[in-house]
Amino acid sequence: MVEVRVVADPEQLPVMRAVVGDLAMRADFDVDTIADLRLAVDEACSSLVRIAAEQSQLVGRFRAENDVLEFTAEVNSPDASGPRKNTFSWRVLSALSDNVASSVQESEEHADGHVVRIQLSKGRMVHE
Amino acid sequence: MTQADSEHAYRGQNYEELAPLFVEFAGLDKTDRRHAELRDRLVTEHLPIAQHIARRFSNRGEAQEDLIQVATLGLINAVDRFDPQRGVDFLSYAVPTIMGEVRRHFRDTGWTVRVPRRLQERHLSISSAISTLSQNLGRAPTPSEIAGHLGISRDEVHQGLEAGNAYRSSSLDELLSDTDEIPLGDAIGSSDTELDEVENRAAIRPLLEELGERERRILVLRFFKSMTQTQIAEQIGISQMHVSRLLARTLSWLRERIEVDVPPEPVKD
Repeated sequence: MVEVRVVADPEQLPVMRAVVGDLAMRADFDVDTIADLRLAVDEACSSLVRIAAEQSQLVGRFRAENDVLEFTAEVNSPDASGPRKNTFSWRVLSALSDNVASSVQESEEHADGHVVRIQLSKGRMVHE
Repeated sequence: MTQADSEHAYRGQNYEELAPLFVEFAGLDKTDRRHAELRDRLVTEHLPIAQHIARRFSNRGEAQEDLIQVATLGLINAVDRFDPQRGVDFLSYAVPTIMGEVRRHFRDTGWTVRVPRRLQERHLSISSAISTLSQNLGRAPTPSEIAGHLGISRDEVHQGLEAGNAYRSSSLDELLSDTDEIPLGDAIGSSDTELDEVENRAAIRPLLEELGERERRILVLRFFKSMTQTQIAEQIGISQMHVSRLLARTLSWLRERIEVDVPPEPVKD
């Protein structure tokens, strides 16, 4: 597992893209899957950065095993509603990943804070 | 015009004799044949300056011919906009104008980071390998298949793919494909229906219309028609890596615009 912590700021997103791109290349996913994963991680992190509390960190966890790459991103947010599902952004995320979900949990560290997560996964394409 | 000689010289070449032509040029109507003649002559005579500036920016990953073209464009703008009445000589006006044009070129269309020529060439060969292999395999190839095809290491393929991500709208890609006229077909019509499920469609739709035809088409094919990037590349006639970059750019543009234009909507369950 690889874990990356950055300030929740759009400037930091290239780091997340680079990590997922590298892991996907190392896993020898096909170039479409590699490119989609980069776009998906970008989209997921952008959505979270937008709702992140000030000074929040963006934490990205990457796991590549059994032909599937899993990614979880989380931020602290003052908002308990989490990412909405009927948006264009969610549509993009769904099209780019095999599975995508979000969750909201009360923060243990921050009073009135919420940990908002987006999890997604994408597997190696199966070719007959 | 009474400036000292040195102000009319650039790299040992003296352009002083051209100064009176600018005064004549500025006084001519654009429809006058003499205007076109003088414009040609002024641009041609000053070309060595544009070429020299272009050379100063070489080895930054752009083809030399492209740079000369951009610098020449800067020179033409300088000739057109120069006002001899201002008391500034042409060179002190033209040099920053041309440099500005070249810098803008790098900013708008170049590599976002400096990528060595060797990596750019690898990027190109990987790009064409992806296209060949996709056709042979009927699907997108993996880095190891690309490495095998090109006889290079996996690491080299990784570097090349990574380098591709550092490239924005690329002049190389543009040269390799002719995509000015892409029929939209029924793609957009169906995207409207699909968009009905999207809550912020009212904000999205005008943004989609602002996109270039090609960007919009790629977006629709990928996100509403579930085509893969490789399939889109083949249909549109550009490389998969180019599709990838255009998608990244379009999505980031849309994100910025949606953020700016639409305040967060009230939460509803």
